[in-house]
Amino acid sequence: MRNTLVRSVAAGAIALLALTACSSERSADTSTGTNAGGSTEAAKGFAADALIGVALPAKTSQNWVLAGDLFTNGLKEAGFQSDVQYAGSSTTVADQQAQISAMVTKGAKVIIIGATDAAQLSTQVEAAKAAGATVIAYDRLIKNTQALDYYVAYDNFKVGELQGKALLDGMKAKKPTGPYTVELFSGSSDDNNSAVFFDGAMSVLKPQIDSGDVVVGSGQTEIKQTSTDGWKAENAQRRMDSLLTSTYSSKTLDGVLSPNDTLARAIITSVKGAGKDIPVVTGQDSEPESVKSIVAGEQYSTINKDTRNLVKQSIQMVKDLQAGKAPEVNDTKSYNNGVKVVPSYLLEPLIVTKENVVEAYANDPDLAPLTK
Amino acid sequence: MSRVKELQKSLFGGTTSNARQFGMIFTLVAIVLLFQILTNGLTLNSGNLISLVSQYSYILILAIGMLMVIVAGHIDLSVGSIAAFVGIVVAKVMQDYSVPWFLAILIGLAVGVVIGAWQGFWVAYVGVPAFIVTLAGMLLFRGGNQFIGNADTIPVPEGFRTIGAGFLPEIGPNTGYNNLTLLLGLLVGVAVVVREWRARRVRQQMSADVAPMWISAIRVAFPLVVVVFATLQFAGGRVGTSFPISGIILGVLVVIYSFFTRNTAGGRHIYAVGGNSRAAELSGVKLKRVNFLVMMNMAVLAALAGMIFVARSAASGPQDGIGWELDAIAAVFIGGAAVSGGLGTISGSIVGGLVMAVLNNGLQLMGVGSDRVQIIKGLVLLLAVALDVYNKKQGRFSIIESLTRPFRREAPADPAPGTGTDQERGKSPVAG
Amino acid sequence: MSDAPVLLEMRSITKEFPGVKALSDVNLVVRAGEIHAIAGENGAGKSTLMKVLSGVYPYGTYSGEILYQGTESRFADIRASERSGIVIIHQELALVPGMSITENIFLGNEPGRGGVIDWKVANRQALELMARVGLEEDPDTLIKDIGVGKQQLVEIAKAFAKDVKLLILDEPTAALNEADSQHLLDLLRHFKQRGVTSIIISHKLNEIAQVADSITILRDGRTIETLDIKADGVDEDRIVRGMVGRELHSRFPDHTPKIGEVFFEVRNWTVRHPISADRLVAKNSSFTVRRGEIVGFAGLMGAGRTELAMSIFGRSYGTYVSGQIFKDGQEIVLRSVSDAIAHGLAYVSEDRKSIGLNLLDDIKTSMVSAKLSKVSTRGVVDSVREYQAAEGYRTSLRVKAPTVDEGVTKLSGGNQQKVVLAKWMFTDPDLLILDEPTRGIDVGAKYEIYGIIQRLADQGKGVIVISSELPELIGLCDRIYTVFEGTITGDIDRRDADPELLMKQMTSVKKAQRS
Repeated sequence: MRNTLVRSVAAGAIALLALTACSSERSADTSTGTNAGGSTEAAKGFAADALIGVALPAKTSQNWVLAGDLFTNGLKEAGFQSDVQYAGSSTTVADQQAQISAMVTKGAKVIIIGATDAAQLSTQVEAAKAAGATVIAYDRLIKNTQALDYYVAYDNFKVGELQGKALLDGMKAKKPTGPYTVELFSGSSDDNNSAVFFDGAMSVLKPQIDSGDVVVGSGQTEIKQTSTDGWKAENAQRRMDSLLTSTYSSKTLDGVLSPNDTLARAIITSVKGAGKDIPVVTGQDSEPESVKSIVAGEQYSTINKDTRNLVKQSIQMVKDLQAGKAPEVNDTKSYNNGVKVVPSYLLEPLIVTKENVVEAYANDPDLAPLTK
Repeated sequence: MSRVKELQKSLFGGTTSNARQFGMIFTLVAIVLLFQILTNGLTLNSGNLISLVSQYSYILILAIGMLMVIVAGHIDLSVGSIAAFVGIVVAKVMQDYSVPWFLAILIGLAVGVVIGAWQGFWVAYVGVPAFIVTLAGMLLFRGGNQFIGNADTIPVPEGFRTIGAGFLPEIGPNTGYNNLTLLLGLLVGVAVVVREWRARRVRQQMSADVAPMWISAIRVAFPLVVVVFATLQFAGGRVGTSFPISGIILGVLVVIYSFFTRNTAGGRHIYAVGGNSRAAELSGVKLKRVNFLVMMNMAVLAALAGMIFVARSAASGPQDGIGWELDAIAAVFIGGAAVSGGLGTISGSIVGGLVMAVLNNGLQLMGVGSDRVQIIKGLVLLLAVALDVYNKKQGRFSIIESLTRPFRREAPADPAPGTGTDQERGKSPVAG
Repeated sequence: MSDAPVLLEMRSITKEFPGVKALSDVNLVVRAGEIHAIAGENGAGKSTLMKVLSGVYPYGTYSGEILYQGTESRFADIRASERSGIVIIHQELALVPGMSITENIFLGNEPGRGGVIDWKVANRQALELMARVGLEEDPDTLIKDIGVGKQQLVEIAKAFAKDVKLLILDEPTAALNEADSQHLLDLLRHFKQRGVTSIIISHKLNEIAQVADSITILRDGRTIETLDIKADGVDEDRIVRGMVGRELHSRFPDHTPKIGEVFFEVRNWTVRHPISADRLVAKNSSFTVRRGEIVGFAGLMGAGRTELAMSIFGRSYGTYVSGQIFKDGQEIVLRSVSDAIAHGLAYVSEDRKSIGLNLLDDIKTSMVSAKLSKVSTRGVVDSVREYQAAEGYRTSLRVKAPTVDEGVTKLSGGNQQKVVLAKWMFTDPDLLILDEPTRGIDVGAKYEIYGIIQRLADQGKGVIVISSELPELIGLCDRIYTVFEGTITGDIDRRDADPELLMKQMTSVKKAQRS
């Protein structure tokens, strides 16, 4: 009796061995895949209809939604297959990790990542690299990994500088002489860019603060004090509400440094709610609501980092990689992700105020009508 | 009894309730095969199986603890926050005080014990409902995470990453496979055979009917086929990858906790407390101690899950753990536990968690966006449970029950007609 | 009274549950404007009869006819009977503690239009209704802030809000003190003068004799007799005779007791109610149990027998005040259930479904659950030993189930009780306390359970049987203690025990103070 059992088990096992032996992925060429660097990989090129993965954060800002659409269409026009994914709204990091793994499994040749948390993706990026994919960080630099190949973004330090300058210009235009009372807001502390924006802005504002020409009413000038968790409008609005109550019951607020449009509008909402005059508020991203607000004279400025150009540049990199060329980069020194200096392509941002709003969006099919 | 039923019965165990095992495994296999077809074979591909295990091992570890919490008649909403809190503490001690990684793991577990004792104290000895205690804990430890980490992302050293992102190392001769994974597969295979052999011996000792040998052969062969297939897939992945370390941790925990809940006095006390706490108390079960330990155990497992996630992500971040409690709770209920406590098994919850994991993974491989994935998962959870409740009300065959009954310790059933005046019904598995 | 028109007539009502005939051919005639008492032992069918009348068991689930106000009534549910003016007030009050008196009176019956409550009208009507039942309180007072007696009055006011014609009260004074009880009885007489008919179910025979005009006695689901209290000169003794008069022999297995020495003794046991600290549920109680002896505890519902037993069993009820327990001459202190089990005590609870069994368990798990250490090695349960132990009991106690893997919900009441008995026999106790061991069990199973109890006694164990069925105590026990309001009022040898004597001692303190 025992023999029957043993025999049938053995038979099953052998059958399976035969079935699965050929499915082993440990074929001869894997060694090159694991050990080759990005440039070697790129030099070989890949099929013109290969799969390109795009992993973007949760749909918390219109920019990401637009970027997703542009990637889907742009990659399709270029002849690639695309897989564009957004992280879920609650379990963002884990979702993005799983999405990147899925793209690797599907054999994506290039994976473009707009990270939800720039420091928590190294395992997945390394797995992607090991599987032979090229990884491009989009807009947010992925930290602490050797496996990141390229970084494409707007020059975010420049963005900060422009915001700081706009804030000063706006306040001068309203009231020729100082001192000016301002409040500072910065982005989510888990986003690498938040500090870059803030530092850029402070490079302009710091001398003025030191000279006493600009006064931060609440005294909160550290990035930790000014950060906005998760880039969420509600958090910015809540902080502004408390600032108005604690500091501005009698004082006048002249200006607010806001890192982006969503937060800028939240700040304006808060000020309006408190029945105060709207101060000079900066922004970034050219969201339609903010463009309307600028035209209406509420928000002072925004930054036009045309997502079209950024996506276009990213797709250009993909095309170069496909053809076996090294993609163009224009900065090989500034962006250190903790373990490596990542070759980067940086685009120039443009400051937009009521004065130049019409010209700035003349070529944008969605925004141009709003400026009329 | 029909011939089919008779065959089913002898294949899946001596009692009718064991026969329902068929349904449970069938569902998982069906979902796997469905996605295997829909994704053109990507689902069972080596790389995908490996990432599936490492992606969901921490959720399944939470599900183990959550199962016991739910069986005891409680709920724990704080697991995600505890995981995030422990994660940041561990990352911080390694970064600021250069504590070696293995010591950091012990510190993390110790923090879990302390948090668990805190929550257990309120639940068991003060009598505050676990829902409230852990809702408070959810806020408390989420805030603690932000407080300690300043909402920053803190990287962890290479050695620590092993528990979340590590694999069995490559040793021994080049066989074209990962040798240690092959060895692991062999061990599991032997365990399957030994278990069936011992089960036969036990039934002989009970002087109960012992199924014919060919039945045993089939019962051993099916799992063996799965084990052999899985072993070859895991061992045959890209060089440098193999069966994940986090999967081994999960496997060890599943074996230990299954044994504990099924075969020890301590495990039985949890079911007794959840099934009828007054009866348990009058049978000499120390109610408060059981509740305390169950809550504490959950916190320790949450600490472990948090560390595994941090290790896998190479950093502890402010978003860690958000929504995990819901994934763990969903796994437990899909796995057949009762909201009112007293019912459910570790293996059921693991299968429930795997159903959700395969669903998630398969949809992602198909390129379905996370918005729609969430909608589908929500509907699957609701429909699975609703259909079951409906069928139970109609007095018909209950799918969830049939799927999960073999994984429960006890199988309740509606009283057979004409058996005295007792009109009580068995607890409905979810709504009950 | 007897010439008043008939308000309600229930004709040959028969109600069966699976395996048990709860009512068989019961007749009840209630005349308009009278107070009609229904008496009978626990389980005689009083509550079932009232549930048939009020539509809890709807038309079609019983056989027989209900003639109400001269026409046949077929109530589909409680609301239907309430619309006809029949209102039942259960022993457990159906009030919401966190709501005011007014809100409770009009719960589900709110005055107003389109779902909007007219509080002015409600409060005015509430005050009128409260005046009718003699309740002087602010109608906005919350129910939890007034005493049980007043809560009972709110419940009655609620009945009047529904325009009651026939008021049914199930054990209305069980939870009330002397003064509140008297007030309620006076109120019933007052209603009678205003033309409201009442049916009262009560164990307190003195109350029945005091207020009722006529009485129907039920026994074993049958009508025994209907008496006109004034005309027939009925007194308590007469009612008792009607309630218990039946043959006792042959319902119990033959048994010759082998009684040894006193081995278990409780002295001056006093326990406080767990919530209301001024109430004592056991007052200075002392008793003894000898080896091989079956000792009965007789008493009415709420007399404190269960409370006494549970407080001895590891202080699992109430707050311990004073008293000592001796076993084999040594004083033992039982602080927890596990202490009690370790000292050889076992308590088989009154309500096996809510506190005796985990209904999710199967037979074998239940049977070993009170002493898992007996089948485990270092905390690991040995499934073979567990199976063998359970299988042994299944055979010896003749549990009707195919295997011990069967879920306990699938078993009948009698077989469930056998499982519970096995669970406690498995702990090897020296003293078994069995609380209502045969409640809800049919006659055949009862006989078997009696046999098991006798065998346990023959093994030299002490057995305490708490039962509300006097014939059972008389047929089974070697000695019977009577309990009234937490006090032991009598210690009666089997030879002296007869139902009338027991009933007297169970219903009052003064007659029974012999010792």
